[in-house]
Amino acid sequence: MNNKNYLLPGLVIIFSFGMIIFSTVLLPNFIFKPMPSEFAVVYTPLEARGRKIYLREGCVNCHSQFSRPQDRDFGPLVMAGDYVYETPNLLGTIRTGPDLANEGGKHPDAWHKAHFINPRTVTPGSIMPPYSYLKDDEMKALVAYVQSLGKKRLVKYHRIYHPDELEKVLEKRKVNVDSSAAANAGRGIFQQNCATCHGTHGLGNGPNAIAISKKPANFSRPFFKDYDDVTWFWRVSEGVPGTRMPQWGKLLTEEQRWYLVAFLKTLPRENEVYPKDYESLDPEKWNEVQATSSKDLNSQKPAMIIETKGSPPGAGGGH
Amino acid sequence: MFFSDKENSASKNFIFTAVIWLIVGMTMGLTGAIEFTAPDMSAGIPQITFSRLRPTHINTVAFGWLSMANIGIVLYIIPTLTRSKLFSNKLANFVCLVWNLAIIGGIICLTNGYTEGREYAEFPVPIDVMVLIGLLSLSYVVYMTAITRTVKKLYVSLWYMLGAFFWMPIVYFIGNRTFVRLDGLNDSIVNWFYGHNILGMWFTTLGVGIAYYMIPKLTGRPLWSHSLSMLGFWTIAFFYAPTGTHHILQSPVPEWLKALAVVFSVALVIPVITVLTNFFMTMKGNWWQLANNLPLRFVLTGALFYFITCIQGPFQATRSINWYIHFTQWVPGHAHAALLGAFTFFDWGAIYYIFPRVTGHQFYSVALARAHYWLTFIGFWIFYAAFTIAGLVQSAGWHAGIPVNIWSTELVPYWIFRAIGGSMMWFGNILFFINILQTFRGVKPLDLPDVEPAMSPMKS
Repeated sequence: MNNKNYLLPGLVIIFSFGMIIFSTVLLPNFIFKPMPSEFAVVYTPLEARGRKIYLREGCVNCHSQFSRPQDRDFGPLVMAGDYVYETPNLLGTIRTGPDLANEGGKHPDAWHKAHFINPRTVTPGSIMPPYSYLKDDEMKALVAYVQSLGKKRLVKYHRIYHPDELEKVLEKRKVNVDSSAAANAGRGIFQQNCATCHGTHGLGNGPNAIAISKKPANFSRPFFKDYDDVTWFWRVSEGVPGTRMPQWGKLLTEEQRWYLVAFLKTLPRENEVYPKDYESLDPEKWNEVQATSSKDLNSQKPAMIIETKGSPPGAGGGH
Repeated sequence: MFFSDKENSASKNFIFTAVIWLIVGMTMGLTGAIEFTAPDMSAGIPQITFSRLRPTHINTVAFGWLSMANIGIVLYIIPTLTRSKLFSNKLANFVCLVWNLAIIGGIICLTNGYTEGREYAEFPVPIDVMVLIGLLSLSYVVYMTAITRTVKKLYVSLWYMLGAFFWMPIVYFIGNRTFVRLDGLNDSIVNWFYGHNILGMWFTTLGVGIAYYMIPKLTGRPLWSHSLSMLGFWTIAFFYAPTGTHHILQSPVPEWLKALAVVFSVALVIPVITVLTNFFMTMKGNWWQLANNLPLRFVLTGALFYFITCIQGPFQATRSINWYIHFTQWVPGHAHAALLGAFTFFDWGAIYYIFPRVTGHQFYSVALARAHYWLTFIGFWIFYAAFTIAGLVQSAGWHAGIPVNIWSTELVPYWIFRAIGGSMMWFGNILFFINILQTFRGVKPLDLPDVEPAMSPMKS
């Protein structure tokens, strides 16, 4: 019934759509075949598993994986050959969080783990959801994958937190962070640079703390026990974005920062006894002190503190 | 319900279940929006973590709500325009059942982490197969209805709808071809051919087709120009499909493909201008009808948002603007303006007109419908403005080289406003659902038929 009149338009539709599919779907696959570049990552089984978890958790919904010419702080540009082994693609179309194309080595492994469990402990103000439900082996794989991103692209950059690079750096390190001599040296650096905010006892109650809206860290918080040397070093070097904590990596030498790490490690945590004469940094004496009443010692109040109802002394933000 | 052979039963089932998916999908979207302001809300529960909720929300509203509502409306419009019976209500009802099962399965899969990970194509393979079977069966039903028609000429709505049912199965098949493994960038090129054409060759063509039917029908005036409407159809057929690469304009894909995408994206101004000129010229001298014609108000609000989103679209696909706004919240704002602002408003308007006619019941309450309109209209503006401004702030942060941790805290007010706008729309749609449910059950309406003549089945 008059359907013949519509034969020509129908053919035009079919033909034009065929042309479009040919030119934008088939043709690119025939003529665009980039060779794997030197930066294309062939994943290890652990990293490949991590990639699957990244895909499963939908990280791509907030994190892109390509740096653009106009991006200032996402590292070197990507090239077509970098993506040969990336199937399914994780380019992403939105950056609610930072770009991850060159993420590998920016942060230590311990940071990543803490960040996945609760992002706000290491990045105040972050809106990333917590992934505390990941099992230990999944977490390990995911961290390995994230550390692999842009791995080779960053050789010329100083990306010491990548697990592969880290060993070399630690070998070259001159400071023995477990020695009391280093801690003593670090104490001087701490008093000069850090005590104005973090307080002389590291309780986050230095004189400047009054005026800062995001309070400096209180090093007596128990979770600082979990900080390993590298995490301390990373935190001191990179500062805390979004707060007044500066990037000490730009102000102190690497040696000085390791001294500082040595000192920070010796600071007592909340459930440990606060030693009366900890300035000596002599572990022998600490044991003596621990024998005395911990209650009595904990009631000691540091110099500058604003009394607030119910909160423990100097409970600053812990980043 | 799903095995009936009654006339319009398929249309009724599609619309009714689509509204349920609208509520489900909007609840997910709202939960996600609230999680932006309270990120610890998900509390380590994987199923409601934002990154899993977002693809589930997209797929639920895109396939559960918008596709099914469009199909329900189309299954009413096509028999009306061809003056023939739907080829097979039984088959269409069967598809409705299959799609509902597919959406249920899809939600369970996506929230539990079984995903393909490609945007808009997240459904795992079994769900893809179900959706594709549904699409092909519907195409068969729709084409058979058109072939056995009793009206000689095809109205422009039919062109759009028949076109959509030709393009969509192909596009869907290409987008979900998991048996062909493509290397990284090729994978993303094909992904965005699909990701953009599901909007262009499915939602746009069906949405515009519905509006082309609804506006002359609701105003009672003939379409302003048939030749202009044909120009709009053919330009959309030629220009829309190659534009997908503009989603990855700054990635290292071939330059010629990007150029092609930009040129055709800008050319899309032509169908948009023709379609909107036609809509608004048909309305010329009839604007007074908005006062007592709620479905028409919905459709024309949709046309307004269609204008906004489609003027944004071609310009933000150009390299210089894309340079600035890509990767920001501006883009989801644009996507919501198209799918929620334009096509969902078209569908709401059409449902208010069609649902009484397929059920035979007058709409339960005009007051609820008016509350629905104002809550969604005002809520959408708040929501859309928050998205757009947040996008500009974000982009300014990047281009000033400020770390993400700093500017992300500046966005908190926009996240809150977005959640407020979203809650208004969500609440409006709860009212809509109540209204639809009561109409579906055939509860005695609260108003006389002449309060909103278009919302009662008496007069057509």
